[in-house]
Amino acid sequence: MSKFKILLIVVFCAAITANTFSQSQISPERKRAIDSLALEKIRDLSKYISIIGNKETPFSEANRVIERTQELFFDDAQIGVSSLYRTEIEYFGVRTYLEHLMALNYDRINISWYNIQYISDLELQPDGRYVGVITIYQRFEGESDDGLSYKDTTKKDITVYVERKQTQIGGKLIGFWDVLLGDIRVTETMQ
Amino acid sequence: MRLIVGCFVFILLIGSNLQSQIIDNFVEDESMLYAHTKQVNQFFRRFNGEENRLGVRSSINDSLYQNNNFRKEFINFLFDEESTIITPNLKSEFINDVIDNQSLLDFHGGNWFAQVKALFLYKGEEKTCTIFLKLQEEEVGSKWVLTSVLFEPFTSYFINTDSLSESQRRFLHPLSHELDFMNLFKVFKEDQILEQYAEQGYTPDYLTLFIYEFRKSNLKFKTILDVKFHLFQINNWYFELSEYNRKSYNSGWLISNLLKITEEDEVVLKKFIYQK
Repeated sequence: MSKFKILLIVVFCAAITANTFSQSQISPERKRAIDSLALEKIRDLSKYISIIGNKETPFSEANRVIERTQELFFDDAQIGVSSLYRTEIEYFGVRTYLEHLMALNYDRINISWYNIQYISDLELQPDGRYVGVITIYQRFEGESDDGLSYKDTTKKDITVYVERKQTQIGGKLIGFWDVLLGDIRVTETMQ
Repeated sequence: MRLIVGCFVFILLIGSNLQSQIIDNFVEDESMLYAHTKQVNQFFRRFNGEENRLGVRSSINDSLYQNNNFRKEFINFLFDEESTIITPNLKSEFINDVIDNQSLLDFHGGNWFAQVKALFLYKGEEKTCTIFLKLQEEEVGSKWVLTSVLFEPFTSYFINTDSLSESQRRFLHPLSHELDFMNLFKVFKEDQILEQYAEQGYTPDYLTLFIYEFRKSNLKFKTILDVKFHLFQINNWYFELSEYNRKSYNSGWLISNLLKITEEDEVVLKKFIYQK
């Protein structure tokens, strides 16, 4: 994560944080602040997926964006994909999934997002981290020069891990909430 | 010549078909996606009347928060409308009961569990397995834990001793100990129904067998096929929650089965679900 982003999160959280370390329950106000942070990551992910999928993105740039995308995730995050024609879920690592997206056999690809997101409650897990799920919907349009056109809408249920961390700024310990993405379940919506 | 022309026309037809081949699986209507019950979490919130129509969690101070009229309307949409097993009368009785008693669902309230159908490779052959899980509260937070499995290669292997006739029944006589249990020799002969020598109330622990076979590398996970939930949180009612994926406002996590039950029924029903 870039220093600027850490600073941004610290400033953002510092503005709304008071006496948080002893709390195991997240107040509705803090939940809203964490939701915004998580949504910021989801927006980054959505933007990166659109860039990687775009056939006009140069290969080197797409690879650079794949690296950036991976930074949003935990190391062992998996992407489970099922389609209307294959209910069996196939599991991919984040990098493999993105490389598949980059290599899709269309001449033109357009990936956009519905203006809808659903954010679950944050639940505390035994290791002290919080976990939530954000659901978003993606529009995919692929077109080949031979006239083949494919369009679909997929639902993406994205795991979000939220952890309270500390960093030292100017000799002072400042607490902040760090958000990382985990497993994603991708489902093609029924027509 | 006619054959050549025929082939030419056929190729042209296929060609023109390819030119215009469009697979369009777009959901144009965003309001439909809003209507879908997208997560189990959303099912709980909608059931309790704890979020607005756009799916945003309501504040406790909001006049619509857990509001009875609002809930009545929402719960009505939380049923699989294509189900033929839930009668309108039963549905209506359930909704009225929930509203009159102000019954709420509680994620951490217990008395609900998940049923997951998964595909495994068992000794090289594809087999489906049903895994039951429950949410377990921990000192810090909570987690889903395995409670039981149903796996045909295991279940078909054990014999229900109640089904044995008197003449088939065998036992270790009460003075076996005086002979250093030498009659165990007969018990452990091949083809013996060993279960009948076990204590009263014995039931095979399939989860232990499952773990053992997994550890021995005889079981390899392939994929998840289906997930559903069984809820016993509403007094005198049981319902099943399943996920539907269809182009309709009635989609997502919905009530797929509903039964009015007594306390005794609950015990029987749980045994039936777990197939115990």
